[in-house]
Amino acid sequence: MNRIERRATAETLLMVAAVTGLGLAAQGRIPASAMDLLYLVPVAVAARLHGLGQGVIAGTASALAYNFFFVPPVYTLRIDDSENIVTVVALLAVAVFTSRLTAQLRSQAREAQAAAARNAALASFARQLAGSSDEAALAHAICTEAARIFAADALVVLRGHDVPLAAAPPFDRLAGLDLQAAQQCIESGGRSGRGTATLQAADWSFVALPTPSGVVGALGLARGDGRAPVDGDDPLLASIAAQAALALERAALARELNDVAALRERDRLRGALLSSVGHDLRTPLTAILAASAELRATVADAALVATLDSEARRLDRYIANLLDMVRIEAGAIRLNLEPVDLVDAVAAALRDVRGGDAVQVDVPADLPLVRLDAQLFHHILINLIDNARRHGAGAPVTIAAARHGDGVTLAVCDAGPGLPPGSEARVFETFTRLEGSDRVGGTGLGLAIVKGFAEAMGLHVSAANRADTRGAAFTLELPAVLLVAVAP
Amino acid sequence: MTGARILIVDDELHIRRLLRASLERAGYAIAEAVTARELLSVLPIEQPDLVLLDLGLPDRDGLELLPLLGAVPVIVVSARESVEEKVAALDLGAVDYVTKPFDSDELLARVRAALRQRRATQSSAAVVRVDDIEIDLDERSVRRSGAEVHLTPKEYGLLAALAAHPGRVITHGQLLRSVWGPAHAANTEYLRVTVRGLRAKLEADAAAPRLILNEPGVGYRLAK
Repeated sequence: MNRIERRATAETLLMVAAVTGLGLAAQGRIPASAMDLLYLVPVAVAARLHGLGQGVIAGTASALAYNFFFVPPVYTLRIDDSENIVTVVALLAVAVFTSRLTAQLRSQAREAQAAAARNAALASFARQLAGSSDEAALAHAICTEAARIFAADALVVLRGHDVPLAAAPPFDRLAGLDLQAAQQCIESGGRSGRGTATLQAADWSFVALPTPSGVVGALGLARGDGRAPVDGDDPLLASIAAQAALALERAALARELNDVAALRERDRLRGALLSSVGHDLRTPLTAILAASAELRATVADAALVATLDSEARRLDRYIANLLDMVRIEAGAIRLNLEPVDLVDAVAAALRDVRGGDAVQVDVPADLPLVRLDAQLFHHILINLIDNARRHGAGAPVTIAAARHGDGVTLAVCDAGPGLPPGSEARVFETFTRLEGSDRVGGTGLGLAIVKGFAEAMGLHVSAANRADTRGAAFTLELPAVLLVAVAP
Repeated sequence: MTGARILIVDDELHIRRLLRASLERAGYAIAEAVTARELLSVLPIEQPDLVLLDLGLPDRDGLELLPLLGAVPVIVVSARESVEEKVAALDLGAVDYVTKPFDSDELLARVRAALRQRRATQSSAAVVRVDDIEIDLDERSVRRSGAEVHLTPKEYGLLAALAAHPGRVITHGQLLRSVWGPAHAANTEYLRVTVRGLRAKLEADAAAPRLILNEPGVGYRLAK
């Protein structure tokens, strides 16, 4: 019996003695049969204050005292009356009942206190998290708070990492069993490590950080003395983990939104810049061309006006190419995919190229449609035709399309001197003009644009000398994934 | 339609001056506006037969103005060459789109077509002829060198939509909406297949079309 229990027993016996003394003093004024009711008081009080044990002690002592002092024959301990037995049993029953009731109340109160403490801890946790918006600061706040609440070291590790996003106190990297436990915890979405059913030998104890879209990582806890940092399944730990996970997810989403907004803004600025440069360069050209058209009608020297006109047009093409190249290099191409009929595409390109009438076309009208950006493909064809015409030494240019395996190929061929051996890949590089060829005119951008646009749409373009005859062939490969099946 | 009145809307003095010179020489009467505000204020006074509209006006985007111009045909003359801008302008009711720098002869041809179109709508020409093709919009019949050609309903619908405005680009969206219905406005493949069918029946060489012409990414037009 410890000190507290001894003291409680002394109090209990004192109460029984006091009631007995009171009863003796009042003897004759209250009926002896009512005395047993008086003993209910010490029994109930002892059971209420000190629990079942003291209740039983009080009940037993009361029964003995009642029997000894008040039940005839008095000053003897004899129970020979059924009424007395009932009294003893009733007193003990009251002791049991009262102590049970009290114990229940007490455990409820304890639970309420614990819940209040948990809520306070959660509220403070939430307050701390609310102040942080970026992930690292947030993880740091989570660790600091978790370390404080659970009186343990804490760390946050994200899915697929072994270096914690944050830890309190600082921690380098997870290894061995601890890393396994963390990964296991993230995979299973439950708990693992020290103090749990899986990988108990690990130093750290992990709880998953669950969000509606999956487990983002794990919160790890460990104590210096090696004891399990949390017992069983502490509801506080689950709530903390859920809150931490939501906060981390929110921070990740916010970061993505910011990134997207920044990208969009950059795209917008670039687009605005490109279109304003285009506009500024073209407006004077428009005036020059319109003026040359006027001159054609009024000036006698037609050759001079024609030169003015054709040079202005050439300048316009160069500007267009320059802008296209900037778009490619800046990664500012936005695709507008639609099913394109190659017959349409080739016919439109030939209409926009000078001397297009002289090109021989072999594009069957029953090829599959191809999912392309019509405008980019138009520029590709114009550049290829223009290139073939310039290097074709006046011989006819041909455009041929055909099924090739699962896909379709489209080749633009000239009958010029062809490409110097080994230069086939280099022709697509920016500003490349091949030595030893009669490459005149052009900015050296046309073929680089062809390649940039083709790759943006998922096409492959290659250059080679023709096998059948003199000249170069530029071949676009349109892969099967881009073909659109159409019912005839 | 010599004597028609054309309103030039552009903030560049040189462009206005040159457009005026070539259009006046072709016999048109010219009015000018420099800003969107000026365009909207002179429109009811000048009552032009055609507006040449630059999209990059200083005070308002030209695309916003298109719906405000009522029944006057508008040719957009712009340095903006993106397909999206063209489609947007045509869908908003522009009859044509010319990119700067333009060829003066080409521009004059487009102006003539737009004005002829306006007159044609007023007198509702029922028979459209292109080379050896004759499209009778009243009888809903098509002849090639005098012989009747049998078309499917979609083929005829598409041809009629194009023939209602010869020479004018009709956007993919406009064609799909009018022939297949609004639910199919994005089904460009229907359009491609039907155009193939029409070409097979009407073109001399279906692989080198001369009747139904493609504007890459924008739409189709019937040759004039």
